[in-house]
Amino acid sequence: MEFPTTSSVGNVLVQLTDVRKSYFSNRVETPVLHGINLTMQRGDFMAIMGQSGSGKSTLMNVLGCLDTPTSGTYSLAGQNVGSLSRAELAVLRNRTIGFVFQSFNLLKRMSILDNVALPLIYAGVARKTARERARAQLDKVGLGEYASRQPNQLSGGQQQRVAIARALVADPPLILADEPTGNLDTRTSADIMAVFTELNRERGQSIILVTHEPDIAAFAKRLVRLKDGLVLYDGPAREGLRQMQQDDAKDRAMQDAASEVNA
Amino acid sequence: MKFTQLLAESAGAMLANPLRTMLTMLGIIIGIASVVLMLAVGDGIRAFINKELAMLGSNLVLVQSDTRKNAGLRPRTGSVQTITLDDAEALNRLPSVAGAAPMLTTFSQISYGNDNNNTQVQGTTPIAFKIRNLRMAKGNPITEVDVASASRVAVLGKKTAEQLFYKTDPIGQTIRIDNQSFQVTGVLDNEGQSFDAGDIGEIVMVPISTARVTLIRTASPRTVQYVVVQAKNAEGLNDMVQDVKELLRDRHRIRADDADDFRVVNFGEFAKSGEAIATGLSVALGFIGAISLVVGGIGIMNIMLVSVTERTREIGIRMAIGARPSDVLWQFLIEAVAICVVSGIIGIALSAALAAAVTATGKFDMSVGFKAIAIATLFSCAIGVFFGFYPARRASKLQPVECLRYE
Repeated sequence: MEFPTTSSVGNVLVQLTDVRKSYFSNRVETPVLHGINLTMQRGDFMAIMGQSGSGKSTLMNVLGCLDTPTSGTYSLAGQNVGSLSRAELAVLRNRTIGFVFQSFNLLKRMSILDNVALPLIYAGVARKTARERARAQLDKVGLGEYASRQPNQLSGGQQQRVAIARALVADPPLILADEPTGNLDTRTSADIMAVFTELNRERGQSIILVTHEPDIAAFAKRLVRLKDGLVLYDGPAREGLRQMQQDDAKDRAMQDAASEVNA
Repeated sequence: MKFTQLLAESAGAMLANPLRTMLTMLGIIIGIASVVLMLAVGDGIRAFINKELAMLGSNLVLVQSDTRKNAGLRPRTGSVQTITLDDAEALNRLPSVAGAAPMLTTFSQISYGNDNNNTQVQGTTPIAFKIRNLRMAKGNPITEVDVASASRVAVLGKKTAEQLFYKTDPIGQTIRIDNQSFQVTGVLDNEGQSFDAGDIGEIVMVPISTARVTLIRTASPRTVQYVVVQAKNAEGLNDMVQDVKELLRDRHRIRADDADDFRVVNFGEFAKSGEAIATGLSVALGFIGAISLVVGGIGIMNIMLVSVTERTREIGIRMAIGARPSDVLWQFLIEAVAICVVSGIIGIALSAALAAAVTATGKFDMSVGFKAIAIATLFSCAIGVFFGFYPARRASKLQPVECLRYE
């Protein structure tokens, strides 16, 4: 599989065109995404928000090449994802996306170092080289001294830093973080978000952040709000969050009115 | 993904749940041990039979008088002696015969000083020493001169010599056999069962001419009880039996439609029945081994399926960070094969220990050969691949999205 270089695709990293996704159970179609159009430039830091049922997770899976759209086209780093086999998708994920999950998802039986080295191992890098690079990456997130520990010997914040190191080790153009602070306290959440902000600012790392917390989304440059499988808002994060607050205020006023009528 | 990495991960997975891994391995261990023991027992029995036959002297047949029906009556075997010294001489000259020793035997009382003993006395010729593989512990065997001059000399079996003489050197001493004096000229080195005289360590051998004069009455001055005949080689044994029969029928002037007045007993037949026992045991052990291997293999398949389910989330994580379906397939397949190969090695070690224990008793030599080890290793690999493939394939077909959602 050939990967086009940055210059040949310009600055567009992610391009979704009328992406629809339906789930089928007993031949009954349940549409979740109703036609999403989204373009993301390299170097952007985008937060995706939406209530449960908005299609947020489904969009995340499509963006992460973990699932393919039912219709529409998704192009990631110049690759048309819809035409790829399972093995090719695996290679694309390996080289293009670094995942950071809510529950960290480190492998239990492996040392921290081996966890971080694993994406390189799957990329075919020799064990020794992979470990050296993993160690360097661990040093960058400040956890070099924990290299030989098991994941469960670390705190949640430390584990998430290890996960970030694992996401970065193969130097992918895109980081996809799914509720990365969902299992962390406020203080640690701020630390982790500081790491993402710094990566974006210093290295121009492209990041897509899926979250339901406005405080967390506020770290991003751009906000995409989903509702019922459609894009409700796509623009600067600050403006988006302000609108969201207004919407919430309206919702509350509506609820108050309704309860008064019923009373 | 590199093979060493796969091996390291398999080891990790096996050690993560040692008790379960051990129990899973048990079926394969028993199966492989049975297969290896089967081969060792088969080889051991064959070696044992060959050793015993070599001790008796190999490629031997025994020619004895047989009775013909006479007016509807068949007298007891041996009651009519039809084989003579001349027959033995003639047999000796047959090109397919390596040697033919005429025999006269009886049970007699042997005494020296105040000690006495009852044992078998065999009158024979020097050829018997050669074809029956008799070795001298000390002294000399019976010679042609002894036979020609009917000398009163005797060669003692090892045990008989020890019983009569304790620490005295028996050579040159005079013993009494049925109250007649014989001078001891030699002591045999052989031990073990013989086909015609019980324990070869207990016999006493004398010249056949002396035996006839002093110990054994015969129907006529030249008849013998039986002749031991040796073929030149194992392949020629059946042809030799044919030659022996033709010669004796000719010499005894037996008409074409009359029955033989002698009988040829072939010791190769004993080897064949031993071989049959070895084969039977091998088949039985092989059957146990095969059943155990199949059951063990199913156990491995079962545990691998459980393992795939338990590690669904792990599979999802691996796929998310770039494991291809083939990487996942290999991981689980190598794990199943590793379990089988480790079981195989333990099975081989177990059977080697058992074989060594059996050998240590001194009754039976058993050794686990290179062939057995090679077969067992190959077998355990094959079981791992066969029973590990389905679970591994199932793991590789999992969808990453569903795996990551799995708790």
